Amino acid sequence: MGILDLTSMGEPQVDVKREIIGQLERLQDEIPEYCYQCAKCTSGCEAHRLLELEPHRIIALLKRGLIDEMVNSDIIWTCMSCFKCWERCPQKIAPVEILFLLKNYAVALGKQIPGNYTAALQSVLSKGLIQDVKTISTRTGETKSRRDVGLPEITKPVDPVKFQALISKMAVEKI
Amino acid sequence: MTKKTLVFYPGCIMQTEQYSYEISLREILPVLDIKLVDVEGFSCCGEPLKSVNRMITLVLSARNIALAESRNLDIFTPCPICNLAFRECKNILDNDDKIKEKVNGFLAEEGLTYNGISKVIDLLELLYDIVGLDYIKKHVKKPLDLKAAVHYGCHAIRPSEIGRSDDSEEPRKIEDILEVLGVEAPWYPEKLDCCGGLLNMNLPETALTKTGEKLRSIQEQGFDLLVDICPWCHRQFDSKQKKSGETVAYSLNLPVVYLTQLMGLAFDIPWGKLGFNLNLSPVNTLVEGR
Repeated sequence: MGILDLTSMGEPQVDVKREIIGQLERLQDEIPEYCYQCAKCTSGCEAHRLLELEPHRIIALLKRGLIDEMVNSDIIWTCMSCFKCWERCPQKIAPVEILFLLKNYAVALGKQIPGNYTAALQSVLSKGLIQDVKTISTRTGETKSRRDVGLPEITKPVDPVKFQALISKMAVEKI
Repeated sequence: MTKKTLVFYPGCIMQTEQYSYEISLREILPVLDIKLVDVEGFSCCGEPLKSVNRMITLVLSARNIALAESRNLDIFTPCPICNLAFRECKNILDNDDKIKEKVNGFLAEEGLTYNGISKVIDLLELLYDIVGLDYIKKHVKKPLDLKAAVHYGCHAIRPSEIGRSDDSEEPRKIEDILEVLGVEAPWYPEKLDCCGGLLNMNLPETALTKTGEKLRSIQEQGFDLLVDICPWCHRQFDSKQKKSGETVAYSLNLPVVYLTQLMGLAFDIPWGKLGFNLNLSPVNTLVEGR
């Protein structure tokens, strides 16, 4: 069942809608109610052809307050963050930013975080960086570390415990 | 004489695996009289976690900017994704005292304060607006006779609302720099297409399809090479070129280089000092005989 099938029986969630719209106004100076469904965002969407993301429908659902339908669907995780929708919107609406907030809301509700996001988050928590420093391969198959290629030590949080405490506190915060 | 001294913020992907970008930057910037200052204690910029928690992104960016500000210098972010995160963070904190106060409450834990005094500078602003084409031209010793496809990467040019260093639909700065190096860089229809890189987080196969499709079009149009400036894009186009070719069932053999590597070649710096052995795409054709 797709998002649109669900909407016919969906109940609007007025409070969540108000909260998301409040955040958008505060952070982006953006007012989704101004969307008139021209679908210019969808025509340029990098995730449209391969993954069927339709940013203008995301706005339509937000305007109707049908948040659950979106946070329960994988479609919100198909955005490539190319920012073309925001760039080209004649009403200065940023579907890409709405998608970020919807994904944040899904995570806050305890929905499963797809793919490597959990690993990236854990890595940032424990090491401060989204991945470990790698020994890489040359074109001829030799392996090289940063030191081998003459680069200095990496920069990372000096006190991992304090850093971890900082992120853990933020994780439960809202803007 | 040093033209400008900047804090060097490497971000995660460049300093953990995209060494040829860092090597070539550290090689060419001193030639252009730009001094980089390394600072201990940086973390991820936060942008890759924006889907998980926007507050984490904002505070991580503010934390890194605050660290750099303690040196009283502007910040150079070669990765366009980090640059976007920092500029967005500045836009929010510099225009909303309540959020700034809240974020600073968190940063106090590590003894840091975000003040908003440092500018955040990306590669295009540094090379084009601060160093300038004339100054680059002075250092070109061996003009390169090549035809390049240019890939800016989405985060380098959008969203202009946040303040980017080139036009969102018709960027020109890389082409103008390449012209000074003797490289021809004509427009092509797929120029603004996304590399798919950020989908690596959850849909890696689709990411490779995007990458492979763009590389195929460029190769079919007869370009000698692809030039990029983003470590995420370069990881797709160069490090994962073989895999992306397999994904779209096409035999790809397109040399992919960072703009900074190509500048080094034109400055007549030996290619061994520019990380060319680390490109996994067939860059041999560009460096052999040099």
